[in-house]
Amino acid sequence: MACEKTKMEDLHKYLDEEMTLLEKKQFEQHLVTCGECEKHLRELRKTIALVQSTSHVEAPADFTANVMGKLPAQKKSKKYKTWMRKHPFILAAAVFMLLFVTSVSSLWSGGGSHISVQGQGNFHIDETRNVVVVPAGETIEGDLIIRNGDVEIEGEVLGNVTVINGEPYLASAGYIAGETNEINQILSWIWYETKSFFGEVVNVFNGKSEEARTNSAPFS
Amino acid sequence: MDAVVKKIIMEVKKGDQQAFAELVELYKDKVYQISYRMLGNVHEAQDVAQEAFLRAYTNIDSYDMNRKFSTWLFRIATNLSIDRIRKKKPDFHLDDPVGGTEDLTYYSQIAADEELPEDKVVQYEMQEWIQNEIAALPPKYRSAIILKYLEDLSLKEIAEILNMPVATVKTRIHRGREALRKRLRNS
Repeated sequence: MACEKTKMEDLHKYLDEEMTLLEKKQFEQHLVTCGECEKHLRELRKTIALVQSTSHVEAPADFTANVMGKLPAQKKSKKYKTWMRKHPFILAAAVFMLLFVTSVSSLWSGGGSHISVQGQGNFHIDETRNVVVVPAGETIEGDLIIRNGDVEIEGEVLGNVTVINGEPYLASAGYIAGETNEINQILSWIWYETKSFFGEVVNVFNGKSEEARTNSAPFS
Repeated sequence: MDAVVKKIIMEVKKGDQQAFAELVELYKDKVYQISYRMLGNVHEAQDVAQEAFLRAYTNIDSYDMNRKFSTWLFRIATNLSIDRIRKKKPDFHLDDPVGGTEDLTYYSQIAADEELPEDKVVQYEMQEWIQNEIAALPPKYRSAIILKYLEDLSLKEIAEILNMPVATVKTRIHRGREALRKRLRNS
């Protein structure tokens, strides 16, 4: 035991190296002469060494798994946010798809329920029945595209006939030189739009531009 | 190290639960060591260490990024350990009769010790003995001694963990050392 109470405080200060150089020198001189303080210091050093010698314990092997298993369930929105941050390309593709689908569907419904015809020649539109009539004896030089209505062909069409959201009726005397397309499903309509889009692109590159498709006028 | 920890914490704050596993891996041994030395019991230590990590996860938003994460985490672990010590029922005695029997004591319930090589026995007993002596310290000295000599933390960090002035930490370390010296000097 330290010889005095003040010396005990000094012992701890000395141990923690919190003394000034002068204090340290003086205390070391005291230690040489005082057996009690010297013994006390030795015992303290031994105590610290013993405490530090206790080997470091390690957490059990399944510790991390146990903790992770007990975490509160994540909020779904947060989960999605994390997922989206990790997959930017999938996100970009999804946004593109969304824009594509909305623009296409607005085109689909944007035509409204009004009957409209694209083509060159003498035909007339029967609005009460929602029918485009190509009268007998008349000839349509190019293609004929009808939206939101049926078509009755009594005359001749030299190009293709495409009916979107309607049905073609060919009279016994009527004649279509090209193909007849009937488009009532959105998927086949998208296919048709895509095809005609690429067709236009090819036309532009061939320098033919829009010559083939004139007289595009909606009727109301 | 600190930059890595900060990055992981940012991920956790953004809601990446899996990133938290990395934090657990980094600190599990230290947190477990605190709770084990404080409580002196494997099962309770595991319980408290897990609870410390769960608390850290649920309160991650209140963690101040400008401070050291380990200080914050160790503070949670120390507080939980001290709470557990307070709530702890007094230990049962080996001499107590086993419930439902007449003259059986708990001594009869203990399996015969496996033979260990002699030096291992000595080392094991030494460890046990020191652990017991640390566990016998009053909790306020115990926490200071554990953080100082087993976790090798600075006085400033210990003061932050225990939420008290550095001078108080010093006093507790001195008193804890004295108490241990009296018990361990006769080895």
